[in-house]
Amino acid sequence: MAITLKIERSVEGKQWVQDYTVELEKGMTVLSALIKIKETMDPTLSFTTSCRSGICGACAVRVNGNAVLACEAPMADLVKKYKTETLTIAPLANFTTLRDLIVDWKPKYIRLKKIKPSLQPKDEFSATAGCKQSPEDFKKYQKNSECILCGACVSECSKCTADATDFLDPFVFSKAQKLVADTRDKDASAHLAPAVQEGLWKCFNCQQCTTKCPKGLSPAEDIEKLRIATFKNKMSSSTGSDHAKAFYDDIHETGRLDESKLGLKTEGLKVALRAPMAYRLMRAGKMSPLEKSEAIPEIQKVRTILEASKEGK
Amino acid sequence: MDKMNRRSFLKLGAAAGATVVTGSYFGWFGDNIPVSVRNETALYDVLIIGSGAAGMRAALEATKQKGFKVAVMSKMAPTRSATCMAQGGINGAAAHTDTKDSPESHAFDTVKGGDFLCDQDAVEYYTNSAPGVLLELDYNGIAFNRQADGRFEQRKMGGSTYSRTAFSADITGHAVLHTMFEQCMKHDIDFIMDCQMLEIVTDDGKFSGVVAMDMRTGTIISIPSKTVIVATGGYGRAYWVRTSNPFSSTGDGITACFNVGIPIKDPEMVQFHPTGLAVNGVLLSEASRGEGAYLLNKDGERFMARYAPKAMELGPRDLVAQAIEKEIAAGRGVGEGLNAAVYMDFRHLGRAKIMDRLPQVYQLSLEYAGVDIAEQPVPIRTSCHYSMGGIDVIDYKTCATKVPGIYAAGECSCISIHGANRLGGNSLIEVLVFGKSAGIGASEHAKSTTYTGKKETLQAAVDSWNHKFAEASNRNSGPSIAFIRDRMALTMWNNVGVFRNEADLILAFNEITELQQEYKSCAVGDSSKVFNTSFMNYIELGNLLVLAKIIISGALARKESRGSHSRVDYAKRDDANFLQHTLVTKDGDKFKTEFRPVVIAKYKPEERKY
Amino acid sequence: MKFALFPGCVLRGIASEAFLATVKVTEALGIDLVEIPSWTCCGASHLQDVDDITALAVNARNLAIAESMGLSIMTVCNTCTLQLRRAKESLDKDIKLKAEVNAILAKSGYEYKGTAEVTHLLWVLASNPQLLDGKVVKPLTGLKVAGYYGCHLLRPPTIMNYEDSLNPESLEKIIGILGATAVDFDSKLKCCGFHAFWTAEKDVLKVTGQTVDSAAKAGADLVVTPCPLCQIQLDAYQPEGRETAHTTSELPVLHLPQLIGLALGMSKEDLGIQRHVSAADKVRI
Repeated sequence: MAITLKIERSVEGKQWVQDYTVELEKGMTVLSALIKIKETMDPTLSFTTSCRSGICGACAVRVNGNAVLACEAPMADLVKKYKTETLTIAPLANFTTLRDLIVDWKPKYIRLKKIKPSLQPKDEFSATAGCKQSPEDFKKYQKNSECILCGACVSECSKCTADATDFLDPFVFSKAQKLVADTRDKDASAHLAPAVQEGLWKCFNCQQCTTKCPKGLSPAEDIEKLRIATFKNKMSSSTGSDHAKAFYDDIHETGRLDESKLGLKTEGLKVALRAPMAYRLMRAGKMSPLEKSEAIPEIQKVRTILEASKEGK
Repeated sequence: MDKMNRRSFLKLGAAAGATVVTGSYFGWFGDNIPVSVRNETALYDVLIIGSGAAGMRAALEATKQKGFKVAVMSKMAPTRSATCMAQGGINGAAAHTDTKDSPESHAFDTVKGGDFLCDQDAVEYYTNSAPGVLLELDYNGIAFNRQADGRFEQRKMGGSTYSRTAFSADITGHAVLHTMFEQCMKHDIDFIMDCQMLEIVTDDGKFSGVVAMDMRTGTIISIPSKTVIVATGGYGRAYWVRTSNPFSSTGDGITACFNVGIPIKDPEMVQFHPTGLAVNGVLLSEASRGEGAYLLNKDGERFMARYAPKAMELGPRDLVAQAIEKEIAAGRGVGEGLNAAVYMDFRHLGRAKIMDRLPQVYQLSLEYAGVDIAEQPVPIRTSCHYSMGGIDVIDYKTCATKVPGIYAAGECSCISIHGANRLGGNSLIEVLVFGKSAGIGASEHAKSTTYTGKKETLQAAVDSWNHKFAEASNRNSGPSIAFIRDRMALTMWNNVGVFRNEADLILAFNEITELQQEYKSCAVGDSSKVFNTSFMNYIELGNLLVLAKIIISGALARKESRGSHSRVDYAKRDDANFLQHTLVTKDGDKFKTEFRPVVIAKYKPEERKY
Repeated sequence: MKFALFPGCVLRGIASEAFLATVKVTEALGIDLVEIPSWTCCGASHLQDVDDITALAVNARNLAIAESMGLSIMTVCNTCTLQLRRAKESLDKDIKLKAEVNAILAKSGYEYKGTAEVTHLLWVLASNPQLLDGKVVKPLTGLKVAGYYGCHLLRPPTIMNYEDSLNPESLEKIIGILGATAVDFDSKLKCCGFHAFWTAEKDVLKVTGQTVDSAAKAGADLVVTPCPLCQIQLDAYQPEGRETAHTTSELPVLHLPQLIGLALGMSKEDLGIQRHVSAADKVRI
């Protein structure tokens, strides 16, 4: 089967899409297709690759708008998935493209540094005696240590796409969570505080990052865990944490969300500025703030569960 | 940034201020080449080439010197290095899991594993340092597997008497590299990335600087420095598809050192791992055979019966590698050329056991060979896996070479720790022990030396490379890089592979010489200055062609069989004549070979039986 | 077919027209729904940000009640689907965790067993298209529909594994059965931003405007979505979306059961379309 790859290319200010046709071979990956093109058709096609076996993170690209690790992306699977004989290849989104499929990682390391990406060992440990950690505690952060810095999680991140200046790349939050969850680390707030500062609560929860990670990490879940950690570490509240807390309080009070009070609980008195929207909703019959929300019949049982969940923490 | 609002502006300003205040040498806000290098006002104390664990560890050591200008240069982004591919673990006699272990036992195992070609004083230093390095790694935050008492666990790997291999699941190299990178970020180590080294320059026999191409702009730059630590990794790509090594393992630093007169030691010692995927050389873990997989020829026979009737598939690596090649040479393999193969058969293990014990092997076979190993046997073949040989280090405590100011550490160096064959788990610890030593050695030298390099010498080298680039990058007709490279790989595999003999080695040498002629008219096919990856591949090929001849020279000189070097015409180990290192040095256009006796201390050479 | 219905909070509040439409349409199609008594909010991903065990226990309770009804759960909100399925997956794969949560549940007399599945109305219909046989009395011929999935029905694919998250087809299938034409548009699988409205308002409103515009530019007459949260975001905030994204497109945004209801011959009033904020008058069938 002949497959057409439409590759988004760029060099020295020029941008264009170039078509190449490759014969689909058994075991062919996006990377081996790119290599075939470079070696037999067009030596100018440029991309980065090193290990070709899914561990160095060099070869992430977009196929049909979705980031993949090229060396682990079988062409046959993509052809089947998109029911097509034409695939579009592009560099990762939310990176500066240097040429063709090559992107700039330098700014990402600067962002990674913001959450203090190294262990600060507890005082009881030393370089000469090492650390102690139980096998159970090791499991708590082990998955996060498997990140290969490929950038696939960044490409379709909804928040990064909208505006990355007040947010961090998903892998940065995963690195922060790795250290927060590592029992050898002495102070979670050293990683948590900058995470909050740099937009922890602005994540859209779109789950693109988790979907795209070729190593099975879940940055979306890590963001959730970091948010939980801000409560556990009794960090000062913000709009984001107040919004989350409002759900807890509502479930405790009535079992269900009280939409009309949500704004007040999240933003405080500032919510008065949203009067026009509130009026619009009331006019459509969608909201009646004067209505008192009733607790569900079994609310006591729910409260017991909420209390019991807090015990042992 | 296309959106500069007030908040961002203030943040940038603060960052700039912070950068100046912390004494960071450069303020290059995301640019990959430091401003001072672009302005030609830079003078480094320690410049490190190669961002694997050895290079990063060296940087962490050098940066301890107050006010030192230190940087790590890499031809890619820093964490893409080959270190991340190591799987099994990292050795050190910390005796966490097996209290009987000791540095002495580790040393003996290493020396025996290396078929007694290891320098025993260096090995003793190395095994004594290893436990401390493991503990420091733990303190740095590596993701080590743990045992019940809370200390990191250690397991047994091939050739080790006791359990001394600390590990992070089956991705220990990745764990080591990223831990080093985290520490480098903590200490604000400067990374000069996307920068391809072209030449190491000396002045009056002393190191003066490095010439490199900034890939992002195509600008050829020179970087003056008091010292350089070469940590560029191995050279398995001389065999191209028949290696487990990444594309980047092209021995750039080794060729550069060779070109300034530093000998390359024991280059013929390349380790062949029996079970790489035939299609692309990616390694299928040794655990495959440990779990009971069979090796079959094209007739479905378990051919190991012919070569190791008792041990069968569980013979040592070099024996199994040789058996596979013999089967293929006898016409009992499948396929042709470099991708000819035998089969590894897992079917009798059953799907459940495969998925539980060999999930990565399953994944790799499916992804790259398109084979479901629960249903079908997968084609495998021996692959070049590691380079024991390398840049001749003459002082293991400092990693110095014979040229003042040039140091070498990691896989590109040969001290020699691994001798004629490397044990599993011994490489990851080597890069850290000697990365540190090189960092110390280079720092001491930089502290006590005044820089005497001349600007003109560096500029002349830059001019020469500008000319070469202009000429090569504008060639659009002629043999392609791949065409020359594939024939290099074929002759290397056929003639300088698992089995060697004089006639084949000489044939290979001559063929490489012819390929070097063709290389002069090689069509790079890309004239752009911006990220010219074709030109980079062209440079790498040039380096590999030189390395190929270095390997062949060493193989010719060593008229014996020892460890991974197997001479059909000299089938026995010859301690009387060859308990020596081969040293291949540049002699005009020729390759001079000399010998240096191995340092024997506690362990007298004995017959190597397992 | 019988399911325990998990309506989710907004169907009882801001999006009550979706509840109305769901009840009418499932009745017409012969799907029997019994609302889970005393169900609580699923946490909506926000309770999950406060404490993991609490969120698990709250949803284990919801699941346990359905189990005791001997029924599987049908949801009609993407986020509810994700949170319930996540809880189920976590509890089913980790025996220790299940025991820990059941110990909490036991204090109120519940037990989570893992016998109830969690599905969504869209999936039920896509897997059982025969339910619509002979019921489409007013085929929506000529109507161009932008099927907007909403993140949580597709991602993460390990949990939301009904179909391929990168190339789903269930919505298009239903749209086709109803006689309308599905249009492909850039924002089809993208995020509406609902959950980040309070913390990243400008970004979310920009995305709101872009999404509606993307559907309009692809020639859609209206947008349909299986998630009431997406519907709220794209409908109620559509004016702000236009302002922030500097777009002018205005489109009606229907809940999935409303679109089905129209094809089944129900009126706009039957389906609560007059409660919509944006372009309700543009829905002309």
